[in-house]
Amino acid sequence: MTQAPDPRWLQTLVGLAVLLLALTLGAGAVSIPSGAGYGGVGPNFLPWVVAAGLAVSGIMIVREARTGGFRNMEQPSGAPRANWIAFAWVSAGLLANAALITTIGFILSCAVCYLLAVQGLRGAAGQPAMRPRTLAVDLATGVAIAAPVFWTFTQFLAINLPGITGTGWL
Amino acid sequence: MDILNALMQGFATAVSPVNLVWALVGCALGTAVGVLPGIGPAVAVAMLLPITAKVEVTASMIFFAGIYYGAMYGGSTTSILLNTPGETATMVTAMEGNRMAKSGRAGAALATAAIGSFVAGTIATVIVTLFAPYVAEFAVKLGPPEYFLLMVLAFTTVSAVLGQSTLRGMTALLLGLAIGLIGLDQISGQARYTYGIPELLDGIEIVLVAVGLFAVAEVLYAAMYEGRVQETQNRLTRVHMTGRDWKRSIPAWLRGTAIGAPFGCIPAGGTEIPTFLSYAAEKKLAKGEDLAEFGHKGAIEGVAGPEAANNATVTTALIPLLTLGIPTSNTTAILLGAFQNYGINPGPQLFTTSAALVWALIASLYIGNVMLLVLNLPMVGLWVKLLKIPKPQLYAGILIFATVGAYGMRQSAFDLVLLYGVGLLGVLMRRYDFPTAPVVVGMILGPLAEAQMRNAVSIGEGSFLVFVQRPMSLVMIVVILSVLVAPRILRATFRREHAADSG
Repeated sequence: MTQAPDPRWLQTLVGLAVLLLALTLGAGAVSIPSGAGYGGVGPNFLPWVVAAGLAVSGIMIVREARTGGFRNMEQPSGAPRANWIAFAWVSAGLLANAALITTIGFILSCAVCYLLAVQGLRGAAGQPAMRPRTLAVDLATGVAIAAPVFWTFTQFLAINLPGITGTGWL
Repeated sequence: MDILNALMQGFATAVSPVNLVWALVGCALGTAVGVLPGIGPAVAVAMLLPITAKVEVTASMIFFAGIYYGAMYGGSTTSILLNTPGETATMVTAMEGNRMAKSGRAGAALATAAIGSFVAGTIATVIVTLFAPYVAEFAVKLGPPEYFLLMVLAFTTVSAVLGQSTLRGMTALLLGLAIGLIGLDQISGQARYTYGIPELLDGIEIVLVAVGLFAVAEVLYAAMYEGRVQETQNRLTRVHMTGRDWKRSIPAWLRGTAIGAPFGCIPAGGTEIPTFLSYAAEKKLAKGEDLAEFGHKGAIEGVAGPEAANNATVTTALIPLLTLGIPTSNTTAILLGAFQNYGINPGPQLFTTSAALVWALIASLYIGNVMLLVLNLPMVGLWVKLLKIPKPQLYAGILIFATVGAYGMRQSAFDLVLLYGVGLLGVLMRRYDFPTAPVVVGMILGPLAEAQMRNAVSIGEGSFLVFVQRPMSLVMIVVILSVLVAPRILRATFRREHAADSG
């Protein structure tokens, strides 16, 4: 068993990320005009409040992380270490979907997304993946889920989803 | 008898064949979503938000309410039969329900959960029917300062009271408020944080954030961390309660309802506190043999009470949503988003301007409860089959539905990349125990609260003192402070008792 990375380090990073977000919001708030008109506060008031609040939270999170870790932290469920291979498969599926949906249509694009994601999920669960037989089954399953979804939404609910053809069936 | 007349009108609308079908589909879908791990009512409604572009408002609200409701029924099935705790709403049910199932009484546990949900849901719907119009009448008198404080109350309870850590809850809320800032300012029309990107002028879609945080993050999390988690399933026995079960369940249902209903009415959301309170009450009241079953063979009161409390809270939570426009949970926040898609702002005027819609919705709750009782008692075996779907295929399939929701809203492939980004954020938040509900509530309620605050301050001629000068708003400040303190005391007491019992 490999040891999980020191949580305090990562928790500090989380706090720093919150701080960074606060700075970004603060920087953006500078360029929002303060013209309040008859009201006492203008459109830049809440941005400043949120930026300040996040800055305080960020500092407090870093402090908690450096002084013994997050308080009242519920142990995250599952394995101590991430399965990055599975993560890569699912990510590939989602990003492929974003890249392909307008060119090859909803059904095929979602089937590809399903196919890639399910390989990672199968791998994570210790099931056989990436074999010709499972690949064929998975692709067919992906189409079998995506096609009825597509038809339901385009035909019954008149939602625009992209197809290869303009018929609304494929 | 205004209310009765209005309700009858509502029934007339709700029982039209089209609306009945929407209610049935909603209830069935909700039950399925509740049963299936990895997907909840909030995300199911969010994914289906694109239908608001085409489906008529009454039909889609009836449909969404069915999902909201059905998921509560379905959720208890999973927590009784699977040995993994589900969402917080059913965590308490799982404690005794699971023990009952292990000792061969799964059927009785499922029956008491379903009938208890029905009893509590129906009583709570009566409460909604009777009280919502009065709350609306009262709410008309509230001005911007009071509204703003009510929203602050909702923010406080969602972020500071319900989670493990106030700091992480507040951070999540601020994150949600920050997302809500993106786009055009409601009052001055000033663009904020759009960085010259025209798509950002409209703001970030709720669908994107909700589906990303709940569905995509869930799938990524399952792939990364939970592949090897083994689940065992309890055997389903005949769904049947003995005379003794009934005798023990009925008072527990009623007590659970009595505990749960008030919690939904106040804008202080969350089913965690009422379900725990109900569980504690049942345990305290149990005697002899019944008490011995708690924590061992599984006591039926421990399922009946919390399950009733849960449904009562969820139902009465519609009162603040409909009359004040204040959501107190993920799902009600997204329901508010659905109303907004139709250009309807829930609030005191809703009962006058959209009376037909509101009463049809309330009538559909009565109908939905009956449908769900039928769907969940005789047909429970059907839903249990859903638990047999292998995890990899289930999670990969969820991604397809997530795509429909995120893409269907704006037809932009860029949104799918954003969806992935939000998903990554969700994984981080889950890993580091940041609650996600405050993000959604902050994002949806934030812009409304900001508008109320700015109106309030301009009423006060630029002075923030307006919040303490009006008696009503002063009372609300006191309420907010006590809401911050009271649950902590309650929870500490509960924990102490619990520790004493098991120690």
